Amino acid sequence: MSVEPSNGDGGGMNPIAIEARGLAKTYGSTTAVDSVDFTVRPGLVTGFLGPNGAGKSTTMRMVLGLDRPSAGAVTVGGRDYREIGAPLRTVGALLDAHAVHPGRTARDHLRWLAASNSIPRRRVDDVLGLVGLESAAGVRAGKYSLGMGQRLGIAAALLGDPAVVVLDEPVNGLDPEGIRWIRSLMRQLADEGRTVFVSSHLMSEMALTADHLLVIGRGSILADTSMTEFINCYARTHVRVRAPRAGELADLLRREGLELAPADTARDEIQVLTDSTAAVGDLAGAAGLRLHELTLVRSSLEDAFMSLTAASVEFSTQAPPGPSAGPSAHLTATPAAPPESVRSISQGDAA
Amino acid sequence: MSTVRTEEPQVPAAASAALSLDAPPPAGSIGFRQALTAEWAKLWTVRSTTWTLASLFVLGVGLTVIICAASADWLASGDADESPGSFVTWGMMFAQIPAVVLGIVVVTSEYARGLITATVAAVPRRTHVVLAKAVVVAGVLLAVATVTAFFGYWGGNAFLESTGVGLTLGDDGVIRALIGCGLYAAVLGVFGMALGLLMRHTAAAVTTALALVFVVGNLVMLVPGAVGEWLAKLMPGNAGSSIAMVTPFEGMLLGPWTGFAVFCAETALLLGVATLRFVRRDA
Repeated sequence: MSVEPSNGDGGGMNPIAIEARGLAKTYGSTTAVDSVDFTVRPGLVTGFLGPNGAGKSTTMRMVLGLDRPSAGAVTVGGRDYREIGAPLRTVGALLDAHAVHPGRTARDHLRWLAASNSIPRRRVDDVLGLVGLESAAGVRAGKYSLGMGQRLGIAAALLGDPAVVVLDEPVNGLDPEGIRWIRSLMRQLADEGRTVFVSSHLMSEMALTADHLLVIGRGSILADTSMTEFINCYARTHVRVRAPRAGELADLLRREGLELAPADTARDEIQVLTDSTAAVGDLAGAAGLRLHELTLVRSSLEDAFMSLTAASVEFSTQAPPGPSAGPSAHLTATPAAPPESVRSISQGDAA
Repeated sequence: MSTVRTEEPQVPAAASAALSLDAPPPAGSIGFRQALTAEWAKLWTVRSTTWTLASLFVLGVGLTVIICAASADWLASGDADESPGSFVTWGMMFAQIPAVVLGIVVVTSEYARGLITATVAAVPRRTHVVLAKAVVVAGVLLAVATVTAFFGYWGGNAFLESTGVGLTLGDDGVIRALIGCGLYAAVLGVFGMALGLLMRHTAAAVTTALALVFVVGNLVMLVPGAVGEWLAKLMPGNAGSSIAMVTPFEGMLLGPWTGFAVFCAETALLLGVATLRFVRRDA
């Protein structure tokens, strides 16, 4: 089965997907990546989201053939990375912006990379211009700021005009202007039909850039879903009401056709699945029921992400809550409920 | 979940978008030639290469000239128990340090900040990476150390000639020794590369290399009997360096070509082990 790039008629980019099947990596008794399956599709920005130590970098290193999987395989366009004829012309990657020789200039760094994959030399100046480093091209990379280093890393990733772009935490060290630049760059790359696989530990960043979301925690995929679906599921609003006669109010609201989330009656509190505080207040007023609180609550994606990965954070400031993640709850479950109630989303494919 | 398979992954064709500013032409597979070009470009774009080779030249020529100037009278006197042939390449004993360091740094500088990942991502066939580095290091050292040896000979021999104990290029073993300096330095550079690949750390590899070549090589001579004699003969520095001298200092060294062959074999073995680990380990 083949998949067309989302832009259809744009460019001549050959769609190339990244596919992981049963991919695992163990170091001694430590499991870094635990038999994961996923597909990163062309024409989309796929966000690879997880807390530090979740296995993001290890997975990306296996994509690039740097680390050998302990089990399973990951392929790029159906092939092992090591079997790609001219890898930099198929896959461009930024794994670590520090991975340069501090004494070599940016231009010289890109030149040896170009030479290694028979990429024309003029392409070096093209990508330097693309990332805005023309004026610093002759500066030794050791003198670069972290932000400039990231730009050099991105220039290196784009050097071979690759169909697949892999970026590990690319916004690290970038200033706000740089962050906006990289967002639009990733959008453009995906719109051209390229496969864009970008990792981050920031949900808010992913919400702004990613079309598709892979959430990883403790080496396991916790969610594999479109961004839209993830937002629909979590970024719901509800109205929180506290009233002395909460039970009576709840009955009233139900009769009027409003939906209520499971209530915490002990606190005289109910949650109404609506975004209209006016509707709730008016109904209560008409019935003569006093209210102590009427609040519009937006559950943030950050909260959703935190609760999703809470059980799988390697280094936590507090004890992880409750039972550990099990692949039971599904994306469609109780959308307006507080995120704490959702333990896991398993492989909710949203394509 | 739908699986995506692209039947025939190809090199990206020219896309109309701005990012593909000037799309590369369709490429075939990259091979050893590309790896070699890349390593060559890497070697000459860091200052440490120039400094290392410059110090090799200065030590090799300078110390040879100095020792010859200082020893010319003694060698011409009847007291001399050494041959002038042991002195015309004397500075190369110290020039081996920059040679082995160059080989080490070519590898360990890539591990210092993780550049090795970029190298291996660009050239996934790791044997190509190792071979390309070895060819570049050996080639450069062969040329530079041979030239150094000739200059040292001309400079030092001038002093020997002034007291009548000079050698000519036509004398037995002189040309062999001068080219031998290049050959020894070339293989020593690869020896250092192998150590760097095994240890991944500049200081550790340099210490080990210097200890092996200078310290242990001399210490084993203290081991009594035939065992000590053979150990001394077979130590890398001792075996390899006899080709670089017109007349060896110690009579117990292997012959020039035999010794060099032993040293080549030892280096090949070490590089083989290092490469095997490099290929199998995570980059």
